[in-house]
Amino acid sequence: MAELAVDKHVKYILAVEKNKDSFESVVMDHLRMNGAYWGLTALDLLGKLDSVNVDEVISWILKCQHESGGFSGNIGHDPHILYTLSAVQVLALFNKLDVLDIDKVATYITGLQNEDGSFSGDMWGEVDTRFSYIAICCLSILCCLGKINVEKAVSYILSCKNLDGGFGCTPGVFCCVGALALTGSLHYVDKDLLGWWLCERQVKSGGLNGRPEKLPDVCYSWWVLSSLIMIDRVHWIDKEKLVKFILDCQDVENGGISDRPDDAVDVYHTYFGVAGLSLLNYPGLKAIDPAYALPVDVVNRIFFSG
Amino acid sequence: MDLLNQLETILESDPLIDEVGLIHPSQFITLSKECSESSNSSADGAFRPANTKFWNRDHKLGISTEILLPVCKAAKSAFMDAMEQYKTHSDLSVNKHEDKNMVYPSSSCQSFESEVMKHSRALLLLSCDLGTAWNARKLVVSKKQQLPMFTDELHLSALVLSYSHKSEQAWSHRRWVIKMIAGKYSNLQQIIAKESELVEKIAERSKMNYRAWNHRCWLVSYMTREQMLYELKKSRDWAGLHVADNSCFHYRRRLMLGISENKQGDDPSYDVENYQVVKALWLHRRFLSLCLIRHWMTTTDGISCHSTSMANEINIFLDKELCLLDPCSTIQDMEFEDFEAQAIYSTMYFLWLIKQIPEFRKIELQEKLKAGNLKNILHKTCPERSFLWDVLEL
Repeated sequence: MAELAVDKHVKYILAVEKNKDSFESVVMDHLRMNGAYWGLTALDLLGKLDSVNVDEVISWILKCQHESGGFSGNIGHDPHILYTLSAVQVLALFNKLDVLDIDKVATYITGLQNEDGSFSGDMWGEVDTRFSYIAICCLSILCCLGKINVEKAVSYILSCKNLDGGFGCTPGVFCCVGALALTGSLHYVDKDLLGWWLCERQVKSGGLNGRPEKLPDVCYSWWVLSSLIMIDRVHWIDKEKLVKFILDCQDVENGGISDRPDDAVDVYHTYFGVAGLSLLNYPGLKAIDPAYALPVDVVNRIFFSG
Repeated sequence: MDLLNQLETILESDPLIDEVGLIHPSQFITLSKECSESSNSSADGAFRPANTKFWNRDHKLGISTEILLPVCKAAKSAFMDAMEQYKTHSDLSVNKHEDKNMVYPSSSCQSFESEVMKHSRALLLLSCDLGTAWNARKLVVSKKQQLPMFTDELHLSALVLSYSHKSEQAWSHRRWVIKMIAGKYSNLQQIIAKESELVEKIAERSKMNYRAWNHRCWLVSYMTREQMLYELKKSRDWAGLHVADNSCFHYRRRLMLGISENKQGDDPSYDVENYQVVKALWLHRRFLSLCLIRHWMTTTDGISCHSTSMANEINIFLDKELCLLDPCSTIQDMEFEDFEAQAIYSTMYFLWLIKQIPEFRKIELQEKLKAGNLKNILHKTCPERSFLWDVLEL
């Protein structure tokens, strides 16, 4: 069986961060904040976060914050809850949450909660359960979850029927399960029924798909796996086969991981592959928290010190 | 900058463009040849034989892959500048008239506005997920509140979706437009109907497009009950032609939920048809069975005679369902993929059904299933799921 090509992946991630001139990077630069989260978290899991210039990253992050308190994907772009979470997560990685005006960020997020408990992504109002997870995760990291109406947020998530044995999409399922985990509300979930749907995502090759009849994709290794762990049903899939599938998705020559074997690599799938392997206890990787999607030692640091 | 001007001029001169695509430079020569052969007159103003960067004919726009990066950069830079000017300027005019509580658009403000719209349009065709550009258009359009501008936004996003079927931003923009129009203009139902058709067209071209069908599910909350029933009928044919497309069944389930929520006294009747062997159908069957079971559960009111009739209904239903399992017990040769698939999916379906059946019926069902040899089939077809048998305490 192949091994995880740690050094190659580290090199790949660092190179991607520097390349600002290709068509891909121009078209993707509005979500550079997400890219920073994927790349840096993967580096931390691989034990190489110190390869990066912390001060440069932090000063860039702060330039992305708007008056409203929210963060944008890059300098000069509009703020959105998606990038706000990534910004907070990256600062947590570096143990630099103290550079934030926490009240300001919290105000931005609480302002996005609607009457029915749901959350909008930004001032333009698009509602999605992903945004519920993001709001809860972000405020939880900042230790001010109580600033939103948690009860209404939870009841909105439960009303979305993503957890009824899987009539939704798996990133949506992860977001619902994650949000419920972070608010201590997992007892509302029928874990057998949900675990059932999730374990049916594993296909013959060992990879996981997002919906029936779709091809397996490394990113689902995260969403399905972390959901299964949170509801304590991870023994319902074949872990060894999944490890093998993820390792087969590596580009061992140039570094990076792709969605499935022999496809082009990108930072997004590199992060999800490494995070998935961490959840599967692959040796040499730091442990990652399935709900916060941050290394366990980072989460412990937030809640158990100071 | 010149490339950007060219692109924007083409977009301005041909507002009916309905398709955009990328062309490899070598293909321009082929296209030019084809055109000069088929047309006698060279008086077509939109066609420039010497142009190897843009191609515009029959309301189609082609962009050379060679110039994609530079024109994208130029569009972005122009857009950001225009946005900067627009924001500064509209702040100034707001301050000026704060006491009168109105904003008077100065002529230069209007020109910045049109710059923003012009550059964002070009930019979004090249980089369709740039939220900031979509937001800029929302800002301008929401200040004007004119229906033609809203329909222009629908047109632009449809154009983007013609080649970028899954663009989250484009779908989200459409939802914003519909929310803005809803309640203000009387032709909402027409718009919803057209919207649904658009999704169907896109779904035809890009199979199992979750975002497209998700958008269609979102539309259901704006439909009247009549529209929902119509959509349900129409999608049945589509589902029949695209049997493996789970998303269509997901849409039908959403419609059924919507219809039952809008019940007007009469009970909905669900067709449990004869399905072919595809997983999506088995999953759909789970949903339908669940609806039937829940329907029976909610119509019982605890009086014994009613429980008996419900028990009978469930019994008849189960006996019929079990007939579907018969073929699987006689399968010897698992080498044929179709037979194997049928066995796996039907077995999983029955295990799931057991989970759903209310407690007091379980024992009867278990007896029936033991007779039907379900456990052996399970071990034979998908041994890695054998643990589910124990989970269900069978």
